[in-house]
Amino acid sequence: MNKSDLVIETTELTKRYGERVVAVDGLNLRVRRGEVYGFLGPNGAGKTTTLRMLLGLVRPTSGSALVLGATPGSPAGLAGIGALVETPSLYPFLSGRDNLGVLARHAGVPAARVEVVLEEVELTEWAADRVSTYSLGMKQRLGVAAALIKDPQLLILDEPTNGMDPAGMAEMRTFIRVLGRGGRTVLLSSHLMTEVEQICDRVGVIRAGRLVGEGTVHELRGRESLRVRAQPLDAAERLLATLPEVEDVAAVDGGLRVTADPAVAAAINQALVQAGIAVSELRPEQASLEEVFLELTQSEKEAA
Amino acid sequence: MTTSVAAELLVVRKRSSTWILLGIWSVLAVLFAYVIPYVEYLNGSGPGNRSLEDLLPDRLVGNLLAGFPFFGGVFALMLGVLALGSEYGWGTLKTLFSQRPGRLQVFGAKLIALGLVLVPFVFTAFALGAGASYAIAVREGADVAWPSASLILRALGAGWFLLAVWATFGILLGVASRGTSLAIGVGILYALVIEGLISAFADSVSFLEPLTKFFLRANGYSLVKGLGVSTVDVAGNGPGAFSGPYVGSAQALIVLALYALGFLLVSGFLLRRRDVA
Repeated sequence: MNKSDLVIETTELTKRYGERVVAVDGLNLRVRRGEVYGFLGPNGAGKTTTLRMLLGLVRPTSGSALVLGATPGSPAGLAGIGALVETPSLYPFLSGRDNLGVLARHAGVPAARVEVVLEEVELTEWAADRVSTYSLGMKQRLGVAAALIKDPQLLILDEPTNGMDPAGMAEMRTFIRVLGRGGRTVLLSSHLMTEVEQICDRVGVIRAGRLVGEGTVHELRGRESLRVRAQPLDAAERLLATLPEVEDVAAVDGGLRVTADPAVAAAINQALVQAGIAVSELRPEQASLEEVFLELTQSEKEAA
Repeated sequence: MTTSVAAELLVVRKRSSTWILLGIWSVLAVLFAYVIPYVEYLNGSGPGNRSLEDLLPDRLVGNLLAGFPFFGGVFALMLGVLALGSEYGWGTLKTLFSQRPGRLQVFGAKLIALGLVLVPFVFTAFALGAGASYAIAVREGADVAWPSASLILRALGAGWFLLAVWATFGILLGVASRGTSLAIGVGILYALVIEGLISAFADSVSFLEPLTKFFLRANGYSLVKGLGVSTVDVAGNGPGAFSGPYVGSAQALIVLALYALGFLLVSGFLLRRRDVA
């Protein structure tokens, strides 16, 4: 991959608080231009600290990062980044429009951009109201509008659907998907697997400050396998292990997980029936992103 | 930078606390400089029996400036604390530092906006004071003679400068404590108690005596003394009473400027270096 294709590149990025707390531990993150990258991890895994380091709000203890080719926090880098980190932080006594006006002035973008982003997040009707009167969902949408004010090349969104009702969440997902088109890069941190599954091109899973898994959602979920329930089960397991189409057979939850191309399901069924084995279930199966996430983020704890 | 200053002016202008502080300060400045002394004059009471001459327009500068080194300073301190400390409470510093300008540019824009906001604090107090002294003169049938324009200009400048020094102290406290409550508490404690207590002990503890010449209050009152503020009035001036030691105007100006510079340098350093949560 060409270096210029990378919008975010961290090298052994580390943040320690004192001697004992390691929030981010040698993180090597690569986010490519134009992709929607999902950043997953349990609470306290180091997601928000990482995002803050990418924005220059928090200084790394060691390691380095380049965002849009610039040092995090430098005016050159910040010019192309829009961010919503955790809850939207805005002036409660100002209207939505004035809040965006303040940010537009600081960012040096034309005032006309305020109306454009208000329209994009459908807040124009309430733009003159004080932010202190907004619902959580409206504040979240205003936070996204604030992130868009610079028409940024890179959007960093931390839990953008937080506090939204289901309809609002669905709209926001569609919105983020649209934002991810046309060359804009989105780094999306979220706890919601369905959100990430629906929106993201690639996903990185972080645990205890380290990247423990990365790939497309399809890659992370792994190959499809076949789920088989049959009687007698041990005879079925022995037979399946001898079939050339089958790579592996494992007993799981009173059935069998058969590692094989789902296209050979009919042949497997035929072999079992011809051997006098009664097949009650035969279906393709693939690990959900949630299962993969739990496996990646809990394996260390379980091992201990 | 111009657009950043415009952004900060919008924030300050739309913030009700700015106007509430301005209103309270203006009313109290006139109350303590004119209304109460005039009532004391009418009743023949007060420190040393008030004379009418002290309340007439030609004493405008001395009368009003006496409230700036301490009383006005506390208001400016609160403005300074609110300018930066509130940003931590709302989390807006994180939002601002994620925009295009660097941290120091945001800080600079906030300083300029705060400096501009202090202008109406000075002008309003002087305008209301002028109105009050004129009304007293007319009511008493006394001659109306105003201080020279140059003296008024110097007084306006000195008033703004004193407020600015205290505001920078507020900024430092707001940044250092990353909030408003502790900063305002410590600031008022310092203004009301610490300088006063050390000054009181300075009479009996010799090594404290030189220290008192570098206090904010000592230098503030020394600066306005040169512009006609009565040391007798200041000595009986309630919680902000000050009876010396006084230093020369030039030293006062330099010491206060160094205070402001020091406060700003430390604040700027902390803002630039520290993580923003």
